[in-house]
Amino acid sequence: MDMLLEALFSILTLEGLVTILCGVTAGLFIGALPGLTATMALAVLLPFTFTMSPLQGLMALGAVYMGAIYGGAFTAILINTPGTPSSIATTFDGYPMARKGRAYEALAAATIASVVGGIIGVAFLLLLAPPLARLAVVFGPAEMFWVALLGLTLVASLSSGSLLKGLLGGCIGMLLSTIGVSPIGGETRFIFGIPALQGGIELIVALIGLFVVPELISMAAQGRGALPESGKLQGGAGSAIMRMGRHIFGKPINLIRSCIIGQIIAIIPGAGGNVTSLVAYNEARRFSKDPASFGKGNVDGVIASESSNNVMVAGSMVPLLTLGIPGAPPDAIILGVLLMHGLRPGLDLFTETGVLTNGFILSMGFAAMFLLPVGLLGGRLIHRVVVKTPFYFLLPSIAMVTILGTYALRNSMTDVFIMLLLGSVGYFLRLIGIQAAPIVLGMILGVIAEKGYVQTMLVAVVDPIPWLRLVANPLSIVLACLVLLSVATTLLPGWLERSGRMAKVDSDEEKPS
Amino acid sequence: MTLRFNTDFAAGLFGLLFAAVLWFPREGMGRLSIIFPRAILVIMVVLSLALIVKAFTKPAARQVEIEGDPRRLVIMIVVLFAWWYAIGVLGFLGATAIFFFGLTWYLAHIEGPVPVRRLAQWAPIIAVLIGAFYLAFTEVLSVRLPSGIWS
Repeated sequence: MDMLLEALFSILTLEGLVTILCGVTAGLFIGALPGLTATMALAVLLPFTFTMSPLQGLMALGAVYMGAIYGGAFTAILINTPGTPSSIATTFDGYPMARKGRAYEALAAATIASVVGGIIGVAFLLLLAPPLARLAVVFGPAEMFWVALLGLTLVASLSSGSLLKGLLGGCIGMLLSTIGVSPIGGETRFIFGIPALQGGIELIVALIGLFVVPELISMAAQGRGALPESGKLQGGAGSAIMRMGRHIFGKPINLIRSCIIGQIIAIIPGAGGNVTSLVAYNEARRFSKDPASFGKGNVDGVIASESSNNVMVAGSMVPLLTLGIPGAPPDAIILGVLLMHGLRPGLDLFTETGVLTNGFILSMGFAAMFLLPVGLLGGRLIHRVVVKTPFYFLLPSIAMVTILGTYALRNSMTDVFIMLLLGSVGYFLRLIGIQAAPIVLGMILGVIAEKGYVQTMLVAVVDPIPWLRLVANPLSIVLACLVLLSVATTLLPGWLERSGRMAKVDSDEEKPS
Repeated sequence: MTLRFNTDFAAGLFGLLFAAVLWFPREGMGRLSIIFPRAILVIMVVLSLALIVKAFTKPAARQVEIEGDPRRLVIMIVVLFAWWYAIGVLGFLGATAIFFFGLTWYLAHIEGPVPVRRLAQWAPIIAVLIGAFYLAFTEVLSVRLPSGIWS
C-alpha cells in the first residue's frame, strides 16, 4: 500500500501529468490515422523517451498506447475506417449511427466506454495480476484453436442476412491469411512467384482496403461526403454526452460484460485487441433484447467494442509484467523499454521496483481519465472537419492518407496495390452479399486457428487419434463446449423460426447493401 | 443503377473460382504447411456449392442496386490504381499533387462548372495539405516516401 501511495505521488506532478496529457493527445491523433497502429505510434514516439527517466518514459508510452487504441474509434465512427485493427467492431454500429446524424453520440459513447474500460483494466492489473497471469500460461495450442473458433462464430452475427455468404467470407479471409510463409512448416504458400507476397498480406492492409476503398468508391459514385447533411451534430454536445452517460450507466451490464471479456482475452498472448472487441461485440449482440438493430446503429455495439479494447491496454500488461509475455504487439515495445531500463518482468517488478511498476500502472489509469477531455474535444474537432469539409476535398484527402498509411507499414508500394485490389474486389463482393467484416475476421482468427491446430497435431503425432488432443484437457473441453453453445444459440432461433415453432425473430429480409 | 442477377449464384461462383486459384498451387507443399489451407479450401468449395444449389432452389435477392453514377464509380477505381502507378513513376509528391488536384476538380464538377478562379484558390490549400502530410511522414515518422524518377 505504501508503495502504491509513493507511486501515486511520484506521478502526481506537473511534469508527470503533462507527459500523460501529451502522450494521450499524440496517441489519439496517430491512432485516428488509418494505417498507423498503436504499435507504430509507440515505435515512432519511443526515441523521445530515451532522454526521460524510466518512470516518465513508461508513463508517456502507456499514455500513447491508451490514446492510440481509443483514437481508432474516431475514423471508425466518422468515415467507416477503423484507425487501428482493434476498432473494427466500432465501425459496425458507429458509422451507421453517424449516418443517422448521431455521430457525436457515438463518439461520446466511445469516449465514456473507453475511459471506463481503461480504468477497469488498470484496476484488474493492480489487484489481480498474479492469479490472472497463472491463467495465461494454461492456454496452449489446443485452447488457442478453440478461442479462434469461438471468435469465428461471430461470422453468424456479421453475415447480415446470409449465413452461407458470411461463412464464405470467413473462408476467404482465412485463406488470405495463409498467403506467405507458413507459421509452422516455414514454406512459402500461394505467392504465385511474386517475392513481395512472401511477407503475406498484412492485416492492416486488408483492413484499409476492405473498409476504406469501397467507401471511397461509393462516396465518389454518389457524390457525397462521409456523413450526409443529417450527419451534423443534433442538439448540444453536452446533451449528447449526458444522454450517453445515462444510457451506459443506466444499464451497465453490457459495459461490465464487455470489460470482463476484454480482460480475459487480453491476458491470452496472441489474441490482442482485435479479437477482444469482436468477441465483446458478438456477446453484446447475443445478449441484447434487440439483436436485429446491431449493425444498423445500436450504441451498445460501440460501447462493447470500445470498452473491451481499452480494457485490453492495461489487461495485456498482466502476462507482460508477470511472465514477460507480450499479450499484444504494442506490448513488445513496452517490454523492450522495460528491459532497456534493466527491469525484468516477474515478481521483482512488483517488489524491488514496485514504485516504478505501480507508477506505470497508475499512469495508465490517469491516461484513461485524460481520454475524456482530450477525446471529447478532439472528437468535436475531427467531427467538424469531416462534416464541414466539402466532399471533393475530403475524398482525395482520405485517399491520400490511406495510401500513405498503407505504404508506411512496410515501405511497400505492393501493399498499396494489394489494398486497392482488395478494396475494389471488396466493393463488388459487398454488392453480392459478402461483407468485409467476416473476411477481416477470418484473416485475424485464421492465423491463430492455424497455429493452434497445426501445433496440436504436431504434438499428437504419436496418438492413435491425433485430433482428440484438441479436447484433451478440461479447459479445452470447456472452450469446445462454449463454441458448440455459441453455434447453437446462433442457429437455433433461425431453425425454430423456419420450423414454425417460434414467431419470426428477425424481420429483416436479405438486402444487398 | 439496378443490375439483375442471382447473388447466391454469383457468390458461389466467386467462391469456386477463388478456391480453384489456390487449389492448384498447393502441390508440393509439406503436410504442416498445407493441412490448414486444405481444410479451409474444402469447406469453401462445400459452401460455394451449397450457395449454387440454393441459387436454384431458394434464391436470395435477384437485383443489386448500385447507388450513384456507375461511370464515376469506374473512374474512381481507375484513378486510384493510376495514382498508385504514378507514385512509382513521378514519386509521391508529384503524383499526389496531380491526382489530388485532378480528383478534386472532377468531383467538384458534379455540383456544377468550376471556374478557373476557384481552381486557383484551391491550389495553395492542396499544396499545404500534401506538404503537411509529406513532412509529417518523412520528418516526424521517418518514412522514406517514393521519389520515382527523381531518385
